[in-house]
Amino acid sequence: MKQKEKEIRILMLGLDNAGKTTILKKFNGEDINTISPTLGFNIKTLEHRGFKLNMWDVGGQKSLRSYWRNYFECTDGLIWVVDSADKRRLKDCKAELHILLQEERLSGATLLVFANKRDLPGACNIEELRDILDLDEIKSHHWHIIWCSAVTGENLLQGIDWLISDIATRIFTLD
Amino acid sequence: MSVVRETHENFNNKRFQSVERPKNITPDYVLRLQTITDTYLCSPDANIYDIDFTRFKIRDLESGAILFEIAKPVAETIEDNNEKLVENDEAIDPNSGRFVRYQFTPQFLKLKTVGATVEFTVGSKPVNKFRMIEKHFFRDKLLKTFDFEFGFCIPYSRNTCEHIYEFPTLPPDLVNEMIACPFETRSDSFYFVDDCLIMHNKADYAYNGGNST
Repeated sequence: MKQKEKEIRILMLGLDNAGKTTILKKFNGEDINTISPTLGFNIKTLEHRGFKLNMWDVGGQKSLRSYWRNYFECTDGLIWVVDSADKRRLKDCKAELHILLQEERLSGATLLVFANKRDLPGACNIEELRDILDLDEIKSHHWHIIWCSAVTGENLLQGIDWLISDIATRIFTLD
Repeated sequence: MSVVRETHENFNNKRFQSVERPKNITPDYVLRLQTITDTYLCSPDANIYDIDFTRFKIRDLESGAILFEIAKPVAETIEDNNEKLVENDEAIDPNSGRFVRYQFTPQFLKLKTVGATVEFTVGSKPVNKFRMIEKHFFRDKLLKTFDFEFGFCIPYSRNTCEHIYEFPTLPPDLVNEMIACPFETRSDSFYFVDDCLIMHNKADYAYNGGNST
């Protein structure tokens, strides 16, 4: 495979208001002041570290979740975005994540959990989230959790770079 | 830099193609095209999915400036103070205008990294295998092809897609020719659902900075 043909497909999911679109826009240097709920998808294609990234952000409202499965095909990396301060819905968040991880078409995907909004008062820390979301039960996927702030941009690059590195070593090592 | 946009509803440059056109236009067929087409390859009625383009935006990633933005129904204010935009809202409706004319300054051809965003809405039917193929030509020289599959689109959804890309490096003499020959840079945008052509839009471009043409 030629260097420039290395394409990585990343699917970003999570409950509504987790910050998926804000992460996508902030990561790509776009204005984040006028973001409204996603009633469909937002895609960005870009070059990053020699890879062609196709990043898909699909709306997280309950009525849209049944459509998520239409976007599973060929996914190399799954980013699960959590609103760390939305404690009331963490159970819901855990349930949706573990349903996704049973999906056969996502079985080959690396999982990155973004603990977003860590800067908000009352936000759970990484250890708490790891526990509440039952992350240590995940044996089927490579996974990693990292806190971030989509508004300030902190840790977005670190998280995505971890994801890409993991995918690259899994997929492109035979080159 | 000024950006001027006009619409021409009856675009036809009266050129004839020697290659016979198949009954069903396929992605492979348009990928093989060596020139701009002389006519639209489907009727406006082919868009049975009510796919409607509601926003186009081009930004420069180096400076963060928005170089061009047009939205429906209310045009957005251009954020970069160097830009001015003359626009016609009706033009975005594929049934009233499938042709767009862009006018840029020569500086546009010196950009390094740009992001081109489209936003579109979808009607009541789910859309499968939505794919865009866009070909840019200067005269008969192919400058760039975009081929991107959006895949599935949710009924009644509003979706965006931004392609962030390095501007192709063009030889200086070609750049000079493109500046000297306004509207000889042209593009065809083909949209397929399930490999069936449902929309065909055209655009042409000038880079001579609003000088009289």
